[in-house]
Amino acid sequence: MSLEVSGLVKSFGAREVLRGIDLRIEPGEIFAIAGPSGAGKTTLLRCVDFLLRPETGSIRYDGATTPAEPAPAIALRRRIGMVAQNPLLFRGNAAYNVSFGLCIRDVDEPELSRRTADALKALGMSDLAATRASVLSAGEAQRVAFARAVVVRPDLLLLDEFTANLDPTNVNILEGAVREYNRSTGATVILVTHNMFQAKRLANRVALLLEGRIVEVGAVPEFFENPKDPRTRAFVTGEYAY
Amino acid sequence: MHFASMRQYIVVLIIAAVVALAVTAYLSLPRAYLLMATTTSTRDTGLLPPMLRNFTLDTGIEVRYIAVGTGQALDAGRRGDVDVVMVHAPALEAEFIASKDGLCRNQIMYNTFVIVGPAGDSAGVRNATSAPDALARIYDNRSRFESRADNSGTNIKELALWSAAGLNAASFGTWYEKTNQGMGATLTIANERAAYTLSDDGTWFAREPTLPYLGLLYNRTDSVLRNQYSVIPVNPATHPGVFSERALAFAQWLVGPRGQSFIGAFKVHGHTIFTPDGTGDC
Amino acid sequence: MTLAGDILQITALSLLVAGTSTLVATLIAVPIGTVLGLREVGSARLLRNILFTLYGLPPVLAGLLVFLLLSRAGPLGPLRLLYTPLGMVIAQVVIVTPIILGITMSVVSTVERRVKDTAFVLGADRYQLSITVLREAAAGVLTAIMVGFGRAISEVGAVFIVGGHIEGQTQVLTTTIITDVAQAEYGHAVALGVILLLLAAVIYSLLYRIQERTLP
Repeated sequence: MSLEVSGLVKSFGAREVLRGIDLRIEPGEIFAIAGPSGAGKTTLLRCVDFLLRPETGSIRYDGATTPAEPAPAIALRRRIGMVAQNPLLFRGNAAYNVSFGLCIRDVDEPELSRRTADALKALGMSDLAATRASVLSAGEAQRVAFARAVVVRPDLLLLDEFTANLDPTNVNILEGAVREYNRSTGATVILVTHNMFQAKRLANRVALLLEGRIVEVGAVPEFFENPKDPRTRAFVTGEYAY
Repeated sequence: MHFASMRQYIVVLIIAAVVALAVTAYLSLPRAYLLMATTTSTRDTGLLPPMLRNFTLDTGIEVRYIAVGTGQALDAGRRGDVDVVMVHAPALEAEFIASKDGLCRNQIMYNTFVIVGPAGDSAGVRNATSAPDALARIYDNRSRFESRADNSGTNIKELALWSAAGLNAASFGTWYEKTNQGMGATLTIANERAAYTLSDDGTWFAREPTLPYLGLLYNRTDSVLRNQYSVIPVNPATHPGVFSERALAFAQWLVGPRGQSFIGAFKVHGHTIFTPDGTGDC
Repeated sequence: MTLAGDILQITALSLLVAGTSTLVATLIAVPIGTVLGLREVGSARLLRNILFTLYGLPPVLAGLLVFLLLSRAGPLGPLRLLYTPLGMVIAQVVIVTPIILGITMSVVSTVERRVKDTAFVLGADRYQLSITVLREAAAGVLTAIMVGFGRAISEVGAVFIVGGHIEGQTQVLTTTIITDVAQAEYGHAVALGVILLLLAAVIYSLLYRIQERTLP
């Protein structure tokens, strides 16, 4: 799925968070959005996934704007997935959580169980399938949340600082899962992070979001080695580095 | 899958509710029995279960009753919620007939009002020369007195006796307590608070073993102390749908030889309390 | 009928009336409570105020209102429901529904906002969102039902007024305790009270077991 954001403005009361965002994200790429806390990265993702309504501006998904009718709107929403920083798991075990999106989409047995088992296996969670979600560790919970998001094969995957709280092992596993998902399905991935190293490792292109505006967009090696904007340079050289 | 199982729970709940409602509705089919409204005092004498059983054996008609205050019993008749009323408040009964809510009236029996009080009897009710005199003595002594204050036959009689003694009950002080309840509850309160009260002898004898601090102080057959019971079928002209024929059969049986002899033979803890005086226009 | 037979009939009717009322009230109150609990604060404020006022509705008053409704002289007179178990159930549904509704609304509205967002992001439509939130609040909803049943089984004023405590027809444990006390049959009254408590204990232990399964 391609994504085109034009002139997006989002305020909360008097506070302007997004001050006119313009972005074009190509289908199949892993696109990182970097920036300090409070820059508006999460707000942008929530606008893309219909959790927030922008004041002005537009978002186009594969060239088309959001449908007005409820049924096509839900169909579009079901092509987008999100993993947040702190996962929220539903009451139940890991398998229940992972299969949640499949139930929403009326997937029947035996396909439901098969896809759930495969998704758990891909994240190394097969042993924990029957474990209650409330007793999982942070890393395990995030892997369940990730499996839950990708088992329904979204065309656009939004990751909001999704490994920020995790230890290196889990970071590794999850980054590997992102790479594999992108490779095998060709889905577009937007990776919000303030970890420059992660952006370097995973992304094809990076954008810097500062104070509600896109400062610079560049392909991965050049963005870090040869930033055009002085603010970008300050950001990548360490002032805001993870 | 998850939403399907939720749907299952809802279906189970609905089925359970429907079954429960069906059973309840079955138990609530329109009644076939004759329904009477009577007073709590009548219930407390214990007369009704055996007497109604006899009536059913004789006639095949089943009778059940609600036992409430006099006012509510007559109101039930006025609303057409019952087929027949049995109360003991002649003045209110006359109104009931006059308003065409009652069809006709059969006097069936009377018992006697008595004055009970603490065994010590500091007011000297035992030596009273008449019922009004007994109350006057209670007033002079300002002894604690429980009034039912519920517009029942007993309460109406009590107020009439105060009047006969030349006293205005509305002006009494705190020694005069109003319970707003039935005879049984009022006797319980009088027992707890060592107070005097006016009771019908039926309830008194029925409850006597449970009232250790009270004694029977004034028990004479003065005509003014007569507690007259009557039965009044509800008027079908005003309340169509009441079981009028059966109500009339009931009223007639009560003043007939079978009913009257049962009433005369009925004993409460060894005391015969009712005097049959069956007469009337039903 | 023997004494034991009487007690059995009275107990069975208590259970039937309280159980039926709770079931019907649950079917009415939980969906409405869920919908209202999911609304943003502000839009449901008036409804919420009315609801909390209904908490203070004395059961006897509800009984009186239902009595006036069901009496032959009242608007629903032709249904002949006064002095019947179904009439008693109607009165108790009026009393119990606001309780279950209010508690359901409360627990649903305190479900984390993120539950709704997460389900939304996973593609849930409005119905699926409601079910998901309700599922997270299931333990609280069961509490609501338990409180509602407690109110129903222990209620005495409304069932007395609407039922009439007619032998073999509308006598329940609570109304029989009242008439026992009026006739100073304290032993009998206490025995019935114990039966009532045992009944409640059995029902509650069943519901607790179900509730345990709904804890996160």
